[in-house]
Amino acid sequence: MKESKIMLIQYITGIFILVLGALHFLAISALAPTSDKVLYQYANNSTSTHTLTGGTLYYTTVTTIYHTLFWGSIFELLLTFLVFHIFNGFRIILSEQFPGDRSEKAITYIMLVAGLIIFIWGSKTVVTMLLGGGL
Amino acid sequence: MELMLKGFGEVVKTVTLRVRRYDPEKKELPKYMEYKVPVQRGMTVLDGILYIKEHIDPSLAARYSCRMGICGSCAMIINNRERLACQTQILDLGKDLIKVDPMGNYDLVKDLVPDLTKLFRNHESIKPYIIRQEEKVTGEFLQLPEERELYSMFTECIMCGACLSACPTMATDELYLGPQALAQSFRYIADSRDIGFNERLNLLDSKHGVWRCHFAGACSDVCPKGIDPALAIQLLKGMLAKNVFVKYQQKPAKIGPDRKSILETAQS
Ligand code: SF4
Ligand code: FES
Repeated sequence: MKESKIMLIQYITGIFILVLGALHFLAISALAPTSDKVLYQYANNSTSTHTLTGGTLYYTTVTTIYHTLFWGSIFELLLTFLVFHIFNGFRIILSEQFPGDRSEKAITYIMLVAGLIIFIWGSKTVVTMLLGGGL
Repeated sequence: MELMLKGFGEVVKTVTLRVRRYDPEKKELPKYMEYKVPVQRGMTVLDGILYIKEHIDPSLAARYSCRMGICGSCAMIINNRERLACQTQILDLGKDLIKVDPMGNYDLVKDLVPDLTKLFRNHESIKPYIIRQEEKVTGEFLQLPEERELYSMFTECIMCGACLSACPTMATDELYLGPQALAQSFRYIADSRDIGFNERLNLLDSKHGVWRCHFAGACSDVCPKGIDPALAIQLLKGMLAKNVFVKYQQKPAKIGPDRKSILETAQS
C-alpha cells in the first residue's frame, strides 16, 4: 500500500480515537446506570433514606454498559483504530531508527503480528463482556 | 595586530572562538580548541575563521567561496544554531565566547567541512528540473506572474544544507529525503511549466519521503534565505493525500513563439 494511503488512515484513525476515546471515557465515568447518592449518604450517615444502588463507582454497574451491542461495537471500533494507529506509529518510528529494505520489511511484519495479537486479545474482552461475562 | 587587520577599522574587542576540530584521518576524538580573535565592526564569523587560519592555525579547515551569502558553502553551527558564517557578524552575536561547530547530520571531511554528498544526492533524486513531454522545444514556456508566485520563495535555495542539519528526522533516518530536496520537488511540481508530478511521485510517496516530516519546523527556522521548507512539505502532503482520491493533474504551460520568428517579424 502506498505511504499516502497508510498515512491518511493514520490521521483518520487518530481523529476517531479522539472521538471514540471521549465516548469511552463518558461511558465509564458518567453514563453507567446510576442512582449514586454517595455524597448524600455520607452527609446523612446511615439515617439516609436513599440507598446505594450502583453508579459509576461500582464495577458491576459500569460493566453493564459493556453488555449492550451499541457500546460493544463502539469499543471494538476504538480497539481497531487504536491497534492500527499505535502499531503503524511504531512501524514509522522504528523504520526511521533502522532504515533499510530488509529491516523495514521485518519491522512491518513484526508490527502486523503484534497488532493482530493485541487486536484478538482486546476483541476477546469486548466479546466476553458483550455476552454477559466479566473480567 | 592593527596592521594585520588593515581595512577593517579599529579593533573593538577580542572574542574567543571555540572551534570544534576533527580530522577523520587522525583517528582522534573531536575536540574543541579556543582562539583569541580581535574583532572590528562588520567582521563576520567567517572573517574570524580566516583570521585564525592566517595568523594562528593554518590547519583549520572551513569551506567558503562567495563571502556574501550566495554560494551556501559556509553554513555551520554558530552558537548552537545553523547560520552562514559569512552572514553572521561577530558583534551581532553579543557574546565574548563564540562556539563554532560543523553542521550536524552529515559525515565530516575535516573540522568545519561537512560532506554534503547526501544533500546533493537527494536533490538530484527528485529531478530538479522542468519535466516536459516535447522532444524539441521551439519557444519559451509561458507563465503568468501569479503562477510564478506559487513557488517563487523556493527558487531562492542556495543549497547550503542548513535545513538538513537542523532537521530531527534527518538525525535518525539517513534515507529521509530531507527538507531541501522536498522543498525543491514542490518548487518544480508547483511550476506551471512542469508535468513531472508522476515521475517524482514514487520517491515522494515512499517510506522516506514527505510523510516522514513530523513538522518540527526547524528547517524553516534556520534557513538563511527565509525559505519555508516545512510549508512546502505540508503542501506536498496535501497534494499526495488528494491524489489518493482524485489523480493530480498538471496542465503543461503553453509554448510561446520562438525568438527567431519574433526577431524576424520585428525586422520585417
Ligand atoms: S532550503 Fe534554506 S536552509 Fe535548506 S538548503 Fe536551501 S537555502 Fe539552505
Ligand atoms: S561564503 Fe558563500 S554563502 Fe557564505
